[in-house]
Amino acid sequence: MAEHVILFAGPMGAGKTTAIESLSEIETIRTEATNTDRETADKDTTTVALDYGEITVSDEDKVRLYGVPGQRRFNFMWTILKERAVGLILLVNNDAADPIEELDAFLEEFGELHEKGGIVVCVTRSDVAPTPYLDKYAERIREVMPGRMIPVFTADARNADQMRTALMSLIANIEMTAMIAGNQERAA
Amino acid sequence: MTEQVSAHKDPVVIAFANEVLDGFSDVCRSLRYATFLTDDGFEVASIAGDEKQNRRVASMASSMQALGDAVAKDLRIGGAEYIIIAAETGYVIQMRVPEHAMVLAAHFDAAETVGKALSVVRLAASNMRTLVRDKAA
Repeated sequence: MAEHVILFAGPMGAGKTTAIESLSEIETIRTEATNTDRETADKDTTTVALDYGEITVSDEDKVRLYGVPGQRRFNFMWTILKERAVGLILLVNNDAADPIEELDAFLEEFGELHEKGGIVVCVTRSDVAPTPYLDKYAERIREVMPGRMIPVFTADARNADQMRTALMSLIANIEMTAMIAGNQERAA
Repeated sequence: MTEQVSAHKDPVVIAFANEVLDGFSDVCRSLRYATFLTDDGFEVASIAGDEKQNRRVASMASSMQALGDAVAKDLRIGGAEYIIIAAETGYVIQMRVPEHAMVLAAHFDAAETVGKALSVVRLAASNMRTLVRDKAA
């Protein structure tokens, strides 16, 4: 049985905890605290350490789902969890003050995960903020990470089917990356 | 567990925290560092440490507290009362301020006994609760 560790990152309020809850087959582990930073995100609680869930795909691959806090003051958790991860689902809420800037910041922080396996970008809350459109995200990704294949989806973090589509796309990328690396090793 | 103004932005709560921390260092010479923080990782007040370190410790202590709570919840053993991190040259104790979304994290050198350190941390957290509760009353 193969195991994958996938990170869910993105700004506060992008839907990371919700996405993991949507996908997980086990009761998720949450580390939430009362949110006192209402200016950044108007919600009652916020993740301060990690979220954790699990899902089995393809009958034999177990995927461990880790959500990281969105605020930069918790970036030590980003470092800890990034070391174990082979892929990233980056959620960006389209109603953020500057979602493209958020995309930039998180790609800069987590971009190395593309070389380890893959990255998928999910744009959330486009129902409440229709712009920027997906092509703006794709354009920016091409600028900051040229030559990399990073799929961009719109997704509702509450919708298990949509999140599963994004996850399966990421896992396909991870397995392709591993296969290419294996072929290169054998050829060397 | 609800404060009208966030503790780290409330000058009265910050003054209470500083008052408690001053008394704390007076009764415990092995105390190297202490900070009150909100549950979501904002520094309320600290003794010793520079500004950057204080903010970082507040964030890390918040994560530790939440992880402790998560473990206790998963094992169904009730709420996490305190957390101790023992290292070669000292240890850190952190404890929630009862009834408030605040935590006290304190670093002691190895000269202190864990029992004494735990006792003074408990006292400081209790004093903070009393001050904040009386303010609200």
